[in-house]
Formats: sequence, structure tokens, C-alpha cells
Amino acid sequence: MTEILQWLFGEFYGNMLSVLLNATQWTIYLSLTAFIGGGLIGLLFTVLKIVPVRWVQWTATTYIWLFQSIPLLMLLFLIGLGIPAFFKVDIPPWFAAGVSLTLFTSAYMSEVWRGALQSVPQGQWEGGKALGLTFMQILTSIIAPQALRVAIPPTVGFMVQVIKGTSMAYIIDYNDLMRWGKKIANSQIDGAEPFIVYPIMAVIYFSLCFPLSRWSKAMEKRLANS
Amino acid sequence: MFEFRFYEIWRSPEYVDAILNGCLTSFTLTLIGGITGFIMGLTLAIIQLPQNPAIIRLASVSYVEFIRNTPFIVQLFFVAFGLPLLLDYQWSFTTSALLAMTLNFSAYFAEVIRAGMNGVKTGQYEAAASLSLTRWQSLQYVILPQALANVLPSISSQFIFLFLTTGLISEIGVEELTWSGRFVADRTFRDFEVFIVLTVLYMLMVYIYLGGFQLIKRWAFPWWSDRR
Amino acid sequence: MSDTEAAEEKFAVEVRAMSKWYGDFRVLHDINLTVKDGERIVICGPSGSGKSTLIRCLNHLETFQQGYVSVNGHELNEGMKNVEAVRRDVGMVFQSFNLFPNLTVLDNCVLAQRKALKRSKLEAREIAMNYLERVKIPEQSDKYPTQLSGGQQQRVAIARALCMEPKIMLFDEPTSALDPEMVNEVLDTMIGLADTGMTMLCVTHEMGFAREVADRVIFMDGGVIVEENKPDEFFDNPQHNRTKTFLGQIL
Repeated sequence: MTEILQWLFGEFYGNMLSVLLNATQWTIYLSLTAFIGGGLIGLLFTVLKIVPVRWVQWTATTYIWLFQSIPLLMLLFLIGLGIPAFFKVDIPPWFAAGVSLTLFTSAYMSEVWRGALQSVPQGQWEGGKALGLTFMQILTSIIAPQALRVAIPPTVGFMVQVIKGTSMAYIIDYNDLMRWGKKIANSQIDGAEPFIVYPIMAVIYFSLCFPLSRWSKAMEKRLANS
Repeated sequence: MFEFRFYEIWRSPEYVDAILNGCLTSFTLTLIGGITGFIMGLTLAIIQLPQNPAIIRLASVSYVEFIRNTPFIVQLFFVAFGLPLLLDYQWSFTTSALLAMTLNFSAYFAEVIRAGMNGVKTGQYEAAASLSLTRWQSLQYVILPQALANVLPSISSQFIFLFLTTGLISEIGVEELTWSGRFVADRTFRDFEVFIVLTVLYMLMVYIYLGGFQLIKRWAFPWWSDRR
Repeated sequence: MSDTEAAEEKFAVEVRAMSKWYGDFRVLHDINLTVKDGERIVICGPSGSGKSTLIRCLNHLETFQQGYVSVNGHELNEGMKNVEAVRRDVGMVFQSFNLFPNLTVLDNCVLAQRKALKRSKLEAREIAMNYLERVKIPEQSDKYPTQLSGGQQQRVAIARALCMEPKIMLFDEPTSALDPEMVNEVLDTMIGLADTGMTMLCVTHEMGFAREVADRVIFMDGGVIVEENKPDEFFDNPQHNRTKTFLGQIL
């Protein structure tokens, strides 16, 4: 790939792009980790939030509130620097970053999905109960399929927040696009000035995020029209 | 075993001072950035109205999309390290931070406000037109007040979300709360306690802002009833 | 009346061979309608007949593609400039009131006077209070629209339009969004207005109102004016089958 980039953009910028794109894969891995991990945990708390048991709901509410309120930056510091300092353990940056973004994602996803579940009319629950179905049966076979249509656009939209959020992980030395870009921008090499490198990075982030934004918006529109 | 030692932060007036000053700086900078960002966002949203020439609408849409689809930190570093080099004029880091926040906030606000204007019922446009108000008069006196009232909750949650990312301006050396936290953590080695304190302070500031938004709602939109 | 007299007569509204399309669908088909100063017209017809569209064309809320329309001496056409001048002479009352929720009742009435007619604040307020008294709700002037009942809101909407001192008033189903017990207060206001000699075009299904105040009743169906007559003739002796069917359903 480096050769193609060198051929397209010249040796210098070809090399730079090759380094940046290589680093981008770590941005993508972290985003996927956060998204899958956050999605699963988020799903769990979405269900807990609507289970008709008071203390379970309360636990879920607290969890969602807590991880929406803690700034992502603080999560990164707490897990990447705070816990290692406190418990005298070693936590590798990728793990700290993965956990922080997963917690962040899960809280916001629960909120989005709970909203989607609430958009299904109460009558659907009552209809299910009238048929003698259990809570989980109603949820999985009646409510969730209807809520899914509503949930998908904001879910895809939130992926953009996750990708942008990963750019903060460089702060605890996670080696992603942001960290490598910053290194290059600080290198004092002619042609790699900050006003060149940061726009290039912006374009890379943009090309990851924009298609998702568009997709999310298009689905939202289709949903609104149906 | 492991024990919390918050007193290592409290016992030094220097640390307490740093943290309180950091709070104040974070709070005021975000407030100023929020206000300038709102004004710019409002302008961007108005530019996107269908009566304007396609070219400037496209420019506004492109700007908003570009900012919303790139991380704040990249925008911040470009403004702090790229622009001054490009323009051969060095401004303070606080200026960089405010500029970056304004540019960033404005795009999010623009999107929210635009949606709010779309949400005003066509009957309102028609009634204003039938009273022979011009488009700009209708916008100013009828549409915008309703649009802003509609989107105040979204503006508030968007603002809070953005506020929670402002810790990044510590990265360009602005001595706000996150910067103070790292300053104290580096000296006490009590990172965990320090960042817990910071988190609590950030949350407190969120509630102060939310209170502020309640006041804005009551003061600016007294006609707005909660029942729709 | 001879032909020369008719040609010289000034019409408040003059519509000649007017047609309007939404895409391929022709909503108004070759409409001819003249309204003299002080005349009161009631337009009725089934939903989708084009009756609302017709009166919305008269203050340029909708445009038409073919024909000639003139309102109080202003010729209307697609893409015209200075629409505001036409609208200053034409007041409109909507089915869903469309009061501005962000303004008090008084300010609803004052806003356009100040901005479009450049009246002084004092004058505008005085005129507004005058019309609010005429519609019998001066005591509500400091409230916001959402605090009023539907009937009260519609009366404010009428006062708001009258504050501009228009030559012609358009009513687009003014009572169909109201609870039944509030219909009469709005109709009474409209009858009061008719007594002042205002030129009125009312889209409504209130046949009692039509009988009492209308000079002419127009029946539309499928984008066409099917029948047009004095109220007594119209109700007692309808000419067309479609009119008969419609009246049979509504009365």
C-alpha cells in the first residue's frame, strides 16, 4: 500500500499517509471494541432498566446516569492512570482505552435503546400479556422488533461519537491515528507542519464518520416517511 | 491495603487553589465558547434557510458536516498549532481554546437550531405571511422564538455533552480543571483520588449549567408551556 | 345589468379561467369567480374539492399556473414581487387558528401592524384593543394563546386579521377545528363582521351561517365550481345532482 501512496502523493506524503493510515486501523479496532462491547453491555442495561423489579431498574438507572455524567476524558484518566496508581497494577493503554470507551458507549446506547422501546405503544405490552406471554417473550418477539426500526438510525449515529471519542485515547498513550498524527505534527520536519498534518487527519476521521452520519440520516428520513 | 487518601489533595493550599481556579476557568471558558458558538450556530442555521442562495447554503452545510464528523481535539490542535503558523501570528492558548470551542460548538448548535426551524408548523409561516410580514420579519418575530423554545432541551444536552469534552483544552496548556488535576496528580501520585474529585466537580458544574438553562427557559420563553 | 356596466365595475376579487396543478394533478379547473365590494360568499363542497386551495390562491399562499386573478386591483401571478402589498388588503382566518404561541393575545394583534404597516406602538395597541373588544375578549389581551379556549383563539385570530384593516376577509373552515359548543361564538363574530359590510369569502359547512349572511353560495367538487346561487335558491332548489347529494349528506 505504501508504494501506491508514494506513487500517488510522492515519497514524502506517501510515507506520511502510510503511517497515518496504519495508525487508523487502531482507531478502527478501538471503535469496534467500544461499539461491540458497549452494545452488549448497553443491551443488558436496557433490559434491566425495563424489568419490572424496582431495585434492578434503579441499578440500571444509576449505571446509565453515572457513565453519561463522567466525562470520557476522566474515564480514561481514572482507568488508565488512576487505577494503576491506586492498586499498583499495570493496565496497558489499549485495555484502559477499550474499557473506558465501552463504558461510555454502553451508557449512551442504553439511553437510546430505552427511548426506542418506549416509542412502542403500551398497548403492545398489554396485548402480549393478554395472550399469556412472559415478560421476555413479549420483549423479544413483540416489542424489540418494532423498537429496532426506531433504534437503528441513532445507533449508527452514535458510532460517529464513538469514533470521535477514540481520538481522546492518545492521552493515555494509545497508539492510534491521533497519537501518530500528533507525533508527526510535532516532528518539526518541513512539509509536516501542524497546518498540514491536522487537516489530513481531519480528512481521515471525516471519511470514517461522514458515511455513517449520512447513512444514519438517510435511515431516519426513511423512517419518518414510512 | 489500598486506602483513599483525599487529604493529600486538601492539605496543600496550592493544590486546592489550582483545582478551584481550574473549575472557574473551565466553567467560564465553556460559557463564553457556548455563547459565541450559539451566535455563530444561529447564523449558520439561518444561512441554511431555503430562501438563501444555494452556494452559501452549501458552504454552511459543508462546514457543519465537516466539524461534526471530525474530533474536537484535531480541530483544537489545528487552531492552536496550525493556524498561528499558517497566518504567522501567535495568539494565546486561551484564545485558541475559545476559537476552537466556538467553531466546534457552532456546528452542533446549527444542526439543532435548523431542525428546530423545520419543526415549526407551516401554519405559523402562513399566518405570518397572510399578515403581510416579510420572510425576515416572520423569521425574527414568529419562527425563531418558537424554534429556539422547541430546541432548548436539545441545545442544553448538546452543550453539556460538549462541556464534558472541554478537558481536552488542557492539552494545549490552558490551565483549566483537567490541567489542574494532572498538575496535582503528578505531584501527589494520587491519580485515582484526584480524578474522582475532578469527575465530581465536572458533574457539579453540569448541574449548575442545567440550572442556568432552566432560568433561560423561564426568562426567555415564559409562554412555553410543558404540555404540547 | 348591461355588459358595459359589468366591465366598468370594480371587483374586489376577479378570477378568470384559473387552473392549478399539483404535479400532474389538476386541483382547480377553469375557475371563474367575481366578487363585488361588500359581497359575502360562502364556498362549500366535499373535502378535496379545491375550495380551500381556491381561497389560498387569493392571498398568494398558493400559486396557480393558468388564468387571471386580481384581488382589490392587484393582479396576482406566480413569482410576483411585492406580495405583501396584496396581503395587506386581504385578511385570513385559518382552520387551526395559527396564533403565534410566543406572543400574547395583544402582541399577536400588534406585531404586523407595527412591522408591516409601521404604525406607532400606541396606535397599534389602541386599534388592537378596539378589535379585541369587537370580538368580545379584551380582558384576555395579556394572556398567551395556549391559555385560551379554541373559540377564544379563533376570535383573537379574527381580531388579529381585522387589525390590518383589510378590504377582504378570507375564512378557511374557521369552525371545523372547534368543539361544537364553541362554534356559535365564532359564527356570531363573523355575522357581526358581515354586518359591517366587509367583503367576505368563507369556506365553511355551516349552512345556517350561509343562509343568514351569504349573498351567494358556491358549491365546488373535483376542482370545479359546480353550482352558484343565492342561498335560498341554493338550499331549496339545488340544480345539480352532486349538489343535492352533498346537501343531503350535510343537512
